[in-house]
This record gives sequence, structure tokens and C-alpha cells, in this order.
Amino acid sequence: MSTTKLRGTAVTARVGLALGVAVAVCFVTGLISHFIQHPQPWFFWPTRPVWLYRVTQGLHVISGIAAIPLIIVKLWSVWPKLFERPIIGGPVRQIERLSILVLVGSMLFQLSTGLLNIAQWYAFKFFFTTSHYAMAYVAAGAVLVHIGVKLPIIRRALGEPVDDIPTGQLVGPTRRTVLRGTWLAVALATVVTAGQTVPLLRKVSVLAPRSGQGPQGVPVNRSAIAAGVLRSARSPDYRLTVTNGSTTRAFTVAELAAMPQATHRLPIACVEGWSADAEWTGVVLADLVAAVGGSRDTDVRMISLEPPGPYSRTVLPARHARDAKTLIALKLNGQPLDLDHGYPCRLIAPTRPGVLQTKWLARIEVVAS
Amino acid sequence: MIARVTLVVLGLVVGVYGAVLVLDNPPVIIIRIVVWALVGIVLHDLVFAPICVALGFAGRRLIPGRWWPPIALAALCSVVLVFLAVPVYGKPGMRPDNMTVLDRNYELGLWISLAIVWACVPLYYLAMRLLPVRQDEMVDQESADDVERQPPAV
Repeated sequence: MSTTKLRGTAVTARVGLALGVAVAVCFVTGLISHFIQHPQPWFFWPTRPVWLYRVTQGLHVISGIAAIPLIIVKLWSVWPKLFERPIIGGPVRQIERLSILVLVGSMLFQLSTGLLNIAQWYAFKFFFTTSHYAMAYVAAGAVLVHIGVKLPIIRRALGEPVDDIPTGQLVGPTRRTVLRGTWLAVALATVVTAGQTVPLLRKVSVLAPRSGQGPQGVPVNRSAIAAGVLRSARSPDYRLTVTNGSTTRAFTVAELAAMPQATHRLPIACVEGWSADAEWTGVVLADLVAAVGGSRDTDVRMISLEPPGPYSRTVLPARHARDAKTLIALKLNGQPLDLDHGYPCRLIAPTRPGVLQTKWLARIEVVAS
Repeated sequence: MIARVTLVVLGLVVGVYGAVLVLDNPPVIIIRIVVWALVGIVLHDLVFAPICVALGFAGRRLIPGRWWPPIALAALCSVVLVFLAVPVYGKPGMRPDNMTVLDRNYELGLWISLAIVWACVPLYYLAMRLLPVRQDEMVDQESADDVERQPPAV
């Protein structure tokens, strides 16, 4: 009887492959979310299926969390290489070590800041979105370089059997046990957190930052108190102003409610990964735009009662603005909007991040084309 | 070879673009970002990994061999659960104006999930002892010594 050497390229390459897939999913879904929020002329984002952003951003957080057990096992499998001689060595050796330093540093940065951000714990004193975005390229680049350098070793390792000696001779775990354990840990990490995206898992996701509860059955990211709109949103003088160039119309809440109403089931999906389906009732945005003679081919700016800040105004692309399911919602799940959900009225459009579904709307401007 | 060169060159371009975006920040922010990344490495390489090695070393001497696989897997799962619990356990990000974030009992959740993980250890051990061994596994576990010698040539 003997014990096997559990660490080895057979484990590293297989776990690395899974980690590579997780990182790729994370990177692509992250870029999608970035470009929805910072639109570029070449970027196309459809309005159907309505749950598209819910899926991409849910996947972003799920794959990021799945990467945590993967990176733990991956680093475990190569840790002794840290002490391989020569510790410093010649220039080639130094470049190799530096590339690994960048790779591990950027990966740990991305996973740790992402995990803290979904729990809204800003322990780091830098702006999350810009640094997470910048470091995503550093991490993705380092992964590509690493795969390029290691490609022959990866190919060889994937072609060889996992265990190099017959397992009957062994005491204790085999490499196969390590791999199975890794997949098990990935499954566990997913189950205990993914319930904030996947309703079926809600009860067992004991470590998810959101239970999915909230006023009117929907969680909140920015409260009316945080936005500073407690008074202005409930003021009897409230009007929703809709403008198109020099044409301006102002609507009271009663006037909005007297307009033809539409009800749609749309998800609200946060950049932080949580999402919830809900029934929204209100005026179709295209009807309001038409009321001021706006074109169907122009973007529409949404301005909140919230004092100026990064998310107090957003521009809705024309494709979403003219969509029949894009509403200026007055009701949520059959009740007038809760103050925290954007009373008196808010934007709800398909396939958009929650942060761009402007709440406590004060003004809607048809952007001059 | 072409694939390798392409990957490395593409990786360098993407990585340098990321570095340029990082360098767009004021120096104090750049330092904070770099320090955060380096602290991650130091914590892993010089704290977390040595602790794991020490525990593994001790475990191999204190625990009978047949128990190692389930205990090692339970340890891995526990580490993952603890990492995931760090940002929610004490609810450090909670704000009184929004009770829909961090709205679970994470202390209870973590301890129950850890208890379930460790309850699986004896179950795994029992299953390995009681479940019938399949023929494929028998073959998998055989080495050259288990195979009878060739009959003598006639």
C-alpha cells in the first residue's frame, strides 16, 4: 500500500480548464453588462427575451462564485512550485514568475471584490465598478498568456489518465477523489448562493445576500431614504414632465392613471446578480413619447427626482423606448408602487439592468436626434 | 505554435489595455488596487496555503487512511462555505434604510450547512464499506501484480 502524489498536472489542467470556462463566462457576461451601461455604437442589445439580462448577469455572479472553489484547488495543486529552485533565476524565469503574479493577483482581486460587492460591503477604498472593469482585462489577458505558455503541458495532461498508479494500491484519496471533490465544492458553492437568481434554490441558498423578499415581494437596491426623495416623491405638487424639444406636457399621478394601462410580467435584474419576476402595470412609454410628438427612433432620457448622481438619470436606447413592454409603471404586483420601488412612477423595460430602471421619475426627455 | 503565439500576443494586448485603464486612476487609488491584489496573494501563499499544508500533514498522521477522502472533501467544502460567508456572516454591509439586503440568518445558515457537510463524512465511509463493488472498479484497481502470469508456451 502506498500514498499517491495528489498534486500534479493531471489535476491542475482539469481544474484549470473548468476555471477557464468560469472566467470566460464571467468576462463575457461582465462586458455585456458594462456595454449596456456604457453603450457603444457597435453594441447591439436586444429587447427579447425579456429575461435576457437576468440570465447573463445571474450567470456572471454564479460563474464568479463557482470560480472560488476552483481557484482554491488550482492554487493548492501548484503551490509547491512557489518554492521551486531557482527562486529568482534568469530573465525568462523572472518573466514567468511575474506573469503568474499578475494572473493570481488579478484573479483574487476580481473574485474578492465581486464577492464583497454583492453583499454591499465596500471594505476597499476604491470605486468598485471601474476597478473591477479594468482588472477584468488584466485578469483575462493574464489567463490568455498563461494558457499560451502552458498549452503543450495542458494538452499532454488532459490526454493522460488522472491517476498514474492503480488506485487499488492506495490508501486515502486519489486524484480522482480530488477532482470529484472539486466539482462537489463547486456545486455546493452554487447551491448556497444562487437562490437570489434561481427561485427554485431560494430556500437552500443560505449564504445568498438576498432572500428575494422585499416590499410587494421584490427586493430593493436603492431606498427612497438613500435617494433623498421622501418628500419630493409624496408631494401633492408632483408632476411627471415629458418633453420633446419645445413641446412639454406635465402629468399628475391621477392623469397617468387615467391613461390606457398595460400590465406585463417583467424581471427586475440587478447588476449584483439578484433578480425577481414581477407584474408591472402602467403607461406604455411609447404612448407618452407619442403624446409629445416624439419619434419612435430616438433615445429617451429618464431623470429621477433623486438629486444629481451617477444613477439619477439614464438614457434609454430607442429600441427599448419604443418597445411595447417598456412601461412607466404605477403599480407593482397589483398595488401602487412602494416608495422604495419608485413611487409615484418608475421605468421598467425588458433586458435592462435594475440600476438603469430609473425610479421616482421626474422628467422624461425625448433626446434630439 | 501559431496558436500559442496568438494566445500570448492577444493576452498581452488585453492585459495592457486593462493596465492602462487601471493607470487612469489617481496614484492613491492605483496603489490601493495594487495593494488589494498583492494582499490577496500574500494571504493565500503565506497564510492560507501553509495552514492547509500543516493541517493535511497532521491529518495524515492522526486519521486512519480510509477516512481521509471524505474528511478532505468535507474540509474543502467547509473552506468554500466559510469564504462565501465572510461578507455576509456579520452583515458588515447592512444599512438600516434597506432591509432587503443581507436579510437572512447567515450564522444559522453557515452552521447548518457545515453540519450537513460533516454529517456526510460517516455516510460516505459507510457507503464505501457497504455498497457492492462494481466489476469495473475491481479492474480499475488492479495492477500488473494482480494479473496471472502467462501460461507456459507449449
